[in-house]
Amino acid sequence: MKELGKIWTWVLDVGGYHLVFNVSTIIMTLIVMGFLILFAHLATKNKSLIPSTPQIIGELFVANFWKLTVDALGEDMAKTYFPLICALFMFLWCCNVMGIIPGLEEPTKDLNTPLGLGIMGFVIAHYAGIKTKGFKKYIKEYFEPIFFMMPLNVVGELAKVVSISFRLYGNIMGGSIIILVVSYLVYDVIIPPLLYGFFGLFVGTVQAFVFTMLTLVYISVQVR
Amino acid sequence: MSWEKVELLRAASYLGAGISIGFGAIGAGIGEGIAAGEANHALSYRPRFSSEILTTMLVGQAIAESASIFALVIAMLLLFGSVESKPLVTVWAYIGAGLSMGISAIGSGIGTGMPVAGACKGIVRQPSAQSQITSLMLVGSGVAQSTSVYGFLIALLLLFKPLPDVTTFASAGALLGAGFAMGFGGIGPGIGEGIAAGYAVEGLARNPELTTVMTRTMLVGQAVAESTGIYSLVVSLLLILNV
Repeated sequence: MKELGKIWTWVLDVGGYHLVFNVSTIIMTLIVMGFLILFAHLATKNKSLIPSTPQIIGELFVANFWKLTVDALGEDMAKTYFPLICALFMFLWCCNVMGIIPGLEEPTKDLNTPLGLGIMGFVIAHYAGIKTKGFKKYIKEYFEPIFFMMPLNVVGELAKVVSISFRLYGNIMGGSIIILVVSYLVYDVIIPPLLYGFFGLFVGTVQAFVFTMLTLVYISVQVR
Repeated sequence: MSWEKVELLRAASYLGAGISIGFGAIGAGIGEGIAAGEANHALSYRPRFSSEILTTMLVGQAIAESASIFALVIAMLLLFGSVESKPLVTVWAYIGAGLSMGISAIGSGIGTGMPVAGACKGIVRQPSAQSQITSLMLVGSGVAQSTSVYGFLIALLLLFKPLPDVTTFASAGALLGAGFAMGFGGIGPGIGEGIAAGYAVEGLARNPELTTVMTRTMLVGQAVAESTGIYSLVVSLLLILNV
């Protein structure tokens, strides 16, 4: 049980800096990216009125997320932010679900991936807020309702990043720890595949969707 | 009876594991029960939509479960983690981690059940708006979970932060206090955010055109309800950093 929560790292010392690479996370992320690029190529290669299977799957993603984005942001802004939202969901879904394939690990199991994506969402939401409202109005919102609430408003905004990324990390990492411990307790008989189905497919899909929707509504709250 | 250091640490980790999952199981159980009850009630109005209601209920319950899954993870880390080579003050960190995770999961567990109940009610009223209802339910219950996520964060910090070798009353109190602060601070916001999300989802079913406005209002209201949880988070972090 020593390997609980351990990540395979590769340490490199360059010019006085102590660099740590989480090798498995990087490799798995690259696999997901390669898969998504391949999928996008297949989906758009032979566009026709009678669609091929990848094209149907692609259209399914695009149509559903387009509707959600328009609901949240309106037609104009949706054109800017839709590619981000759709790609984010597809990436996260692949990341969360790939753990069910033997030998592969979820990149989201490593805190760096969800935290990075959470910070990305935070920066984009605030950029969108400044761009639509103007800098003065954006700053003014922090001093509402009273000026001395400013520090707590700032902490509240930062806590959004913490909650969005730790929610994803906790669910995926928690699932993998539970699978590890239960497999150890029952000697890998019968129960682990069912747990993979629940944590990998079901929780993975739901959490990917929740992460994407929260990023979307954080943008929508900022641009209001 | 003389106590060895390792034995004391082991005892504390077992105690922390028990506290974590013992308290953590309360909320999710109640929340999922609320959701299931409302689903059955809703089913009696329109039995034709039984499969939609069942799917919504199960998806929602999976989210409501994650607060207690966090508690289970902390309990397992405490049960199976190694306690050798840790300083004695870690005893209090282990108990604090259990308190922080376990008690904060109560509120979120109950709270996440409420939007699911609202969604089951709403789907019966307006089956054509199912996709909007489900996505608002997911967002609402996801946000209602945030205090248990903060509890999880504090518990992880308490488990893995390097602690000083010297045990003082102050550091012991700070570690235990951090657990209490985040644990009890998480109950109210979790339930409150759940109430907000529950009414929002139910209201959306009455008037599906209002999706945009409703989502924003719900989130703003939830953010205000969550502010007390954020005070607890700040105090816990300050306490942990002071050790």
